[in-house]
Amino acid sequence: MPATARPENPYASLDAQIEQLKKCQPLPESDVKALCDKARDILINESNVQPVKCPVTVCGDIHGQFQDLLELFRIGGNSPETNYLFMGDYVDRGYHSVETVSLLVALKVRYRERITILRGNHESRQITQVYGFYDECLRKYGNANVWKLFTDLFDYLPLTALIENQVFCLHGGLSPTLDTLDHIRALDRVQEVPHEGPMCDLLWSDPDDRCGWGISPRGAGYTFGQDISEQFNHNNGLGLIARAHQLVMDGYNWTHEQNAVTVFSAPNYCYRCGNMAAIMEVDEQMNKSFLQFEPAPRRGEPEVTRRTPDYFL
Amino acid sequence: MSALRSLNTSDLSVQRTNDDAQVSKLSCVNKGYFRDDYIRYFVRRASRRSPLINRGYFSRVLALRQLLQDFHAHLTSKGAETIQVLSLGAGFDTSFFNLQAPGPSGVRWFEVDFKEVTRRKAAIIAASEPLRKLLGPQDRHRIHPDEGRIVAEAYSLLPGDLRDTKACQATLEAAGFDPACPTYVLAECVLVYMEPEDSASVVRWLGQWLRTAAFVVYEQIRPHDAFGKQMISNLEARGCPLKGISATKDTASHIRRFTDNGWERADAKDMSTIYRVHLDASEKRRTESLEIFDEFEEWHMIQDHYCIVVAVNDGSGKLKDFGLFRGQQKGVTAPSVQGVSLPIAG
Repeated sequence: MPATARPENPYASLDAQIEQLKKCQPLPESDVKALCDKARDILINESNVQPVKCPVTVCGDIHGQFQDLLELFRIGGNSPETNYLFMGDYVDRGYHSVETVSLLVALKVRYRERITILRGNHESRQITQVYGFYDECLRKYGNANVWKLFTDLFDYLPLTALIENQVFCLHGGLSPTLDTLDHIRALDRVQEVPHEGPMCDLLWSDPDDRCGWGISPRGAGYTFGQDISEQFNHNNGLGLIARAHQLVMDGYNWTHEQNAVTVFSAPNYCYRCGNMAAIMEVDEQMNKSFLQFEPAPRRGEPEVTRRTPDYFL
Repeated sequence: MSALRSLNTSDLSVQRTNDDAQVSKLSCVNKGYFRDDYIRYFVRRASRRSPLINRGYFSRVLALRQLLQDFHAHLTSKGAETIQVLSLGAGFDTSFFNLQAPGPSGVRWFEVDFKEVTRRKAAIIAASEPLRKLLGPQDRHRIHPDEGRIVAEAYSLLPGDLRDTKACQATLEAAGFDPACPTYVLAECVLVYMEPEDSASVVRWLGQWLRTAAFVVYEQIRPHDAFGKQMISNLEARGCPLKGISATKDTASHIRRFTDNGWERADAKDMSTIYRVHLDASEKRRTESLEIFDEFEEWHMIQDHYCIVVAVNDGSGKLKDFGLFRGQQKGVTAPSVQGVSLPIAG
């Protein structure tokens, strides 16, 4: 190539889309379709237990709180300079599910080695019809095509990730039918989140103070005690289970005598709960540290049109 | 509901917040949480609420219906023929119409709210045949939309400002309210929007005036933790600050407000406890399967921040065993939430 010729940036249009999304402006439907096609080709080759290298910053639920996701990047560093692992629940509840999931998928397509996005229990056709993502797509696009594109893509998201064979990351928790990582690797994950069974449990279960397996009040997944976490970590040579799924007021919460940790990254969840958010940094030596953050100022939303969350009035 | 965000806020924000509760209740009705055949007349634009909000309104409606039935059952078993309900800041509440639908209930129902609210309510009732029919024979009721006033045999809709208790008493007396008749006073999210001196004076006024009565309050508590602080600021932002909450920040201070102001006894519980311990198990089972529910942490938090208070004045000895879900373990049957079914003689 002659020295004077400037190489074309093959990612120019993707970079432009990312810039647009960072301004909280949704992409046109055709761009979303192209993006989801590319993302599917990447995700289909990822494992149910996707290996991840340190250093990496681990994040919990975002739930459409787009301004707070930008705050997360300000606190934790921009992608791709910082490696990220998101543990699901990008959509529903907040007012900007479309922009949030579009940005994370765009970053995945642009920097596939630098960002891992797992599936949460809200990345499902059924639950997004109850908790807001479906309605938001209808409102912003006038039809459900974008909802369909994204929920079809969700089927390909990996279920869990494994940082340096030591920290096991997933949205919900353990399953009584999955004793080893190989059991998880053997699952056929490309489907809607089932109502029960191993795949459902990984996305729905919660750690509990009581020992053993318990019935979950959520009606899906199980509760599991410290004995279960210890056994699972021991069996699989793991040091820690990192998961999201539950609101914790400090943004993170150690449990099961440091066999498990909950990370929740939506500050003032639903604009109502008053909680801090947190992300977990895992450095080159596999040391873990937590960065807490508060809600971002709600930029770009004029004061007058800002909705307040519902109460019993 | 509405009595409250009175004069300091714009009419528009008053209307918006007043309508909010009705929209939420209609959302519950449409999902099958409870039955209310009349709420739709009071909602201009229906909207679907999240399962958390639906379940919360359901728990409030079930608990309050259960208490009213309990109150009525205690009195009829002691030979009372009629009871009165006095609903303060009633807004667009539809309880009277639901109660009246199966036939005359033997309850005389009085509602007081700001005139701007009662005028809208009177106009809606005047324009809706099914509501008007429940007021009784046409020649025996008068609807005055301009005055925001309805006077019917069993139902009175009255304009009034609760900060002026003398005027409210005069209005009630003129409408035939009988302070000697056993009375169930209801204030749902009303007193908390008033200055503490003003709400205390409402409590004192009725404590002195009514000899056989229960005063039932449903409202917010716990303003000082993280969720509470956010709730205070969110409600301020929508134009209805909780002016009274610092004086009644927990169940103990709610109880004291009554016992310090002329009521014999009072009890209070937060809504988490009421839902867990006192609400009918089969109704909970039925409604818990109506929608996917994935808001558990938040559900416990929001229910921790609401309470029900029941104060009692028992001048006649007829309310000896009545209280906040007292005697429930003794097998008081839960009311059907499918309809409001007070077992009340005509």
